[in-house]
Amino acid sequence: MEFEESGIGEECGVFGCVAAGEWPTQLEVAQVLTLGLVALQHRGQESAGIVLSNGASPPTYTAHKGMGLVSTAFPPEALMKLRYGNLGICHTRYSTTGISELQNCQPFVVDTLHGQIAVAHNGELVNAHALRKKVMRHGVGLSTSSDSELITQLLAFTPPMEELDAPDWVARIKNLMTETPTSYSLLVMYKDVIYAVRDPYGNRPLCIGQLVPISKLHSSGSGEEDTEGWVVSSESCSFQSIGAKYYREVLPGEIVQISKHGVKTLSVVPRPEGDLPAFCIFEYVYFARPDSIFEGQMVYTVRQRCGRQLAIEAPTDADVVSTVPESATPAALGYAQQSGLPYIEVLCKNRYVGRTFIQPNTRLRQLGVAKKFGALTDNFAGKRVVLIDDSIVRGNTIAPIIKLLKEAGATEVHIRVASPPIRFPCYMGINIPTKEELIANKPEFQDIAGHIGAASVQYLTVEGLVTAVQQGISSLQEKDKMISSSNKTSRRVGHCTACLTGKYPVELEW
Amino acid sequence: MSVHISCCQLTAFNWTVWISLVNILKMSNPEKPKASTTPHIVKEELIAAGKWVKLEKTTYVDPAGNVRTWETAKRTTRQANTEADGVGIIALLKRTLHKDCVVMVKQFRPPLGCHSLEFPAGLIDEGETAEAAALRELKEETGYQGEVVGVTPVTCLDPGLSNCTTQIVLVNINGDEGENINPTQQLEFVEVVLLPLDEFQRNMDDLLKKEKIMVDAKVYIFAMGMVQAFFKPRELPVLKQ
Repeated sequence: MEFEESGIGEECGVFGCVAAGEWPTQLEVAQVLTLGLVALQHRGQESAGIVLSNGASPPTYTAHKGMGLVSTAFPPEALMKLRYGNLGICHTRYSTTGISELQNCQPFVVDTLHGQIAVAHNGELVNAHALRKKVMRHGVGLSTSSDSELITQLLAFTPPMEELDAPDWVARIKNLMTETPTSYSLLVMYKDVIYAVRDPYGNRPLCIGQLVPISKLHSSGSGEEDTEGWVVSSESCSFQSIGAKYYREVLPGEIVQISKHGVKTLSVVPRPEGDLPAFCIFEYVYFARPDSIFEGQMVYTVRQRCGRQLAIEAPTDADVVSTVPESATPAALGYAQQSGLPYIEVLCKNRYVGRTFIQPNTRLRQLGVAKKFGALTDNFAGKRVVLIDDSIVRGNTIAPIIKLLKEAGATEVHIRVASPPIRFPCYMGINIPTKEELIANKPEFQDIAGHIGAASVQYLTVEGLVTAVQQGISSLQEKDKMISSSNKTSRRVGHCTACLTGKYPVELEW
Repeated sequence: MSVHISCCQLTAFNWTVWISLVNILKMSNPEKPKASTTPHIVKEELIAAGKWVKLEKTTYVDPAGNVRTWETAKRTTRQANTEADGVGIIALLKRTLHKDCVVMVKQFRPPLGCHSLEFPAGLIDEGETAEAAALRELKEETGYQGEVVGVTPVTCLDPGLSNCTTQIVLVNINGDEGENINPTQQLEFVEVVLLPLDEFQRNMDDLLKKEKIMVDAKVYIFAMGMVQAFFKPRELPVLKQ
């Protein structure tokens, strides 16, 4: 819950759609894109943007960008002018700097030698600083401070062997991928196709869905002729709400071409020899929606498994198990199932109270948390409570909750955290507080229980988390739909745990 | 020219003389003819009859009271208990996350000598309501199973030529339902054409550029109405030269 409270977030969500069959299409592409973004709203609430194309040569683009939630950013009048498109990409953005700037809103549209392209990006380039200098040394001016503009400029760079009238997008994208190893999940729209790209470490998620008629959504009998379109999204939770079937993940390093004819792998860029993939483990722990699927497993299931693992590693002598609503609930249920303790609800959440990190000082922040929750006294008065939370980062938000429970009658409050302590910063897009602010790096951590007022505090170990995550991966069973050359490196399993262990997937430039 | 006759003088006049005077005035003042009869048919004589169509000579009285004739074409198939000869169907195919599409049919029409683009239509059978006829014809011509949402009163089709009447039935088709996803139609010479409603006139104009086809007046007028309703509320739809 502290991720939510502190405003630590996954920076963005990307979504794209290409209509299948004859163009101009009868599919309402703008509506599909909007609904896709709404389903990815948890990945960003600061702003949203859509770029729609008619897919012609040269294409006509219609774009709309707006601040706030999708429903605010795209009022009905805006959607009216977005009616005509055969394909499109869109993006939701998370506030990192707190400065709301419409020009920083994605997707970006730029002119290249071969025509306009639109780009939507999720992630943060680890070598952005050096890369900006390099690009500017080549004479390119940059108008924003965002990575996404940098990416767009790198794509506009002409590769050496390219012919005058035949753009080689695989070469251009590969060039980008050699310039920067991670992290990016990209959608590049050009003419009548969308290129879906995932960095070779697969740090940020990206998957593909197949739009089929509503009545065929749950039957297994839909064939190629039923395809109404293809969608690509940061998370698969968006597929259900638009009538798309989960098709497959974009593999780490893969460049996929999505057109009205279908989905085709153009290339898979390998990692340096020996390097494992580095999928952000916090997508499992917190950021992703519980119904999304990564590496063949549902996020909710992984969180539940973390709870079970936590019960194995850190059992408690107590009476009841409960959760800090709502993100820790799957883990709490897992803990209850494994430990045999009954699961009850102890806190009632007011979802209309905003993020408390906006308040300036610690005391007010603590009061804010107190207003956000109410105690369900009758459920636990006189009992020893195990409270499961999915993260403790600064420790500011859990302490008032413990106080609330004790004042309401809990005899003991034991905290069990379903993730390991965060000690290191993230350079791949998560705005974790500076090293000094992290409670795991402070002297108080030695007696964290005393510091926050709990009877005991225990975190899940890194090994425990990795086990819980990797146990269910059926990547070897994941259907290899389009990849002709089975690249062994793309089948290996690995997760980025840099914020937990300090071991970064790539060497960082300083 | 006007004649003033005072009331007291009228009683002294011969009443027939008065009438004659009035008639003389009428004939010499032709700008103001007085309608003295409601037009009506006097007699209908059969001139020729085929299997489906017949030709009649219609004798009638015009609004001025003169007896005239008209050549009238009629269908031989009109049912006794129905008012209209047939139905025309404006069917909207509605699918989730898709644009609403108008369902039309393209077929060779011998009287024109070329293909036409029309709304699905058909004659009303014995004992059928307009609504039932519409759903039946839609299913036969296009394969779609629809639901009636409205019906017009009896309207005439080409009143200078014939007495043919039709009722236009508005139908919605649930395109998400299994049977309406890839419908099988039963008539082999009829081609189903789906055009999105929101760009209806433009889509039709594009079609006209590509194919030698004549669009039914009701269809084109409907398209112009859509343009006016959706996008140009204060302008009249542009008429092509």
